[in-house]
Amino acid sequence: MTHALTHGELAALIKGRAGISVDPVDLERPGATFEEFGVDSLALLGIVGELENKYALPITPGAEMSKTPQDFLDAVNASATTGA
Amino acid sequence: MTSDPPDRRTVVTGIGVVAPNGVGADDFWKATREGASVIGPITREGCGQLPLRVAGEVRGFDAEAAVEGRYLVQTDRFTHYAMAAADLALEDARLRPDENSPFATGVVTAAGSGGGEFGQRELQNLWGDGPRFVGPYQSIAWFYAASTGQISIRGGFKGPCAVVASDEAGGLDALAHAARTISRGADAVVVGGAEAPLAPYSMVCQLGYPELSLDDDPATAYLPFTGRACGFVPAEGGAMFVLEDERAARRRGARIRAELAGHAATFTGASRWAESREGLAHAIRAALEQARCAPDEVDVVFADALGVPEADLAEARAIADVLGGHAARVPVTAPKTGTGRAYCGAPLLDAAAAVLAMEQGFVPPTPNVTEVAYDLDLVRGRGRTAELRTALVLSRGLMGSNAALVLRAGAARPS
Repeated sequence: MTHALTHGELAALIKGRAGISVDPVDLERPGATFEEFGVDSLALLGIVGELENKYALPITPGAEMSKTPQDFLDAVNASATTGA
Repeated sequence: MTSDPPDRRTVVTGIGVVAPNGVGADDFWKATREGASVIGPITREGCGQLPLRVAGEVRGFDAEAAVEGRYLVQTDRFTHYAMAAADLALEDARLRPDENSPFATGVVTAAGSGGGEFGQRELQNLWGDGPRFVGPYQSIAWFYAASTGQISIRGGFKGPCAVVASDEAGGLDALAHAARTISRGADAVVVGGAEAPLAPYSMVCQLGYPELSLDDDPATAYLPFTGRACGFVPAEGGAMFVLEDERAARRRGARIRAELAGHAATFTGASRWAESREGLAHAIRAALEQARCAPDEVDVVFADALGVPEADLAEARAIADVLGGHAARVPVTAPKTGTGRAYCGAPLLDAAAAVLAMEQGFVPPTPNVTEVAYDLDLVRGRGRTAELRTALVLSRGLMGSNAALVLRAGAARPS
């Protein structure tokens, strides 16, 4: 991945993979959790798979268990920079 | 298998239909009553090269309007239909999901083949691009239990849940299972099932059925009980019901549309149609016994009507074996000749039609069928006005299941 995944891109992935519309601003809000948007670990697993396929990079195992958007972005972006 | 008479009476308070001839019980009944045939060419993508040419497709169903995106992406079409039908049934029953304790309402569905269309897409991803391209929802969407699970999650119903996979007749077995669930203490059960077998992989699976009609003329492809019977036409869709304990329904002032009075099921082996006579007769006899219903009290029969001569003969004889002389007089109908057979959705659509027929005092006709080769009073043409207190619904599956359901009309209006 040549750039860090943004909240806006995450919102688009959530819509595409989990069918849930989320405003990127809400994802960015401090303390926001996936639970409040109805995004569960299966949804995140699908997003992880799409990112891995798109960028041909493995993502740290367990990213799909992230409780918050920020934790998820941190896990994904750390994978991208360290090569997991 | 015979169910013991339940201590608690089970009544129908809500009906939700997603059928080739109508979405919603009102549109479904209007088309059923008129005997309109909607069997037509299969228009789904990727199906054009297959020798199965005509079927009953559900049209005018907007999944995105009916179901939230989060449920759509993780479910197959068969579950879309079931979720939408469940909403219609709950709305009809005026039962809000939060009205009862969440543990008082259960969900039971029947499934014949699960989510073949979703499964095909993901398996194509698997073999086309590799395992990393299979989405996680494949783990749940194809599965027989998907509709029960998603209806339960979506509605917050935490009561007893189940899935019945017993062939076409499973549609009736699901209703019986719901009645047993109510007899054990549940106040309400959202029950039924829907199928979506019109996709390439699913259709290829069906091509192995010797009973499948490959006639490409919608008017002649499915003509049970006639000399021209050449198999059955498949269909998609189904029906969901709200069944309730009668006392619980009365407590909340619900409209009681019918009573589930009796059910029994038997098994006589795949495609052994001659043997289905005895199996079906036994099921009818046991269902009537459970309903404490004399044979001549049956006012209308919704036939299985497979459209295979040996099976049609077995059904006509099974009806006569149990109803005796009444068999030649009781109106028999098979509205499914206008829609095709939606596998285990088919007897559920018949059960919905039976309740509506009793309410409306009208036996709907058997579309496309003009002659009868058996000693049955098969209702053809325009349908028939009649006072209907008791309906018998019959179903058989290609894999050998037979079932009979006795429905009684809702309480008569005080005179």
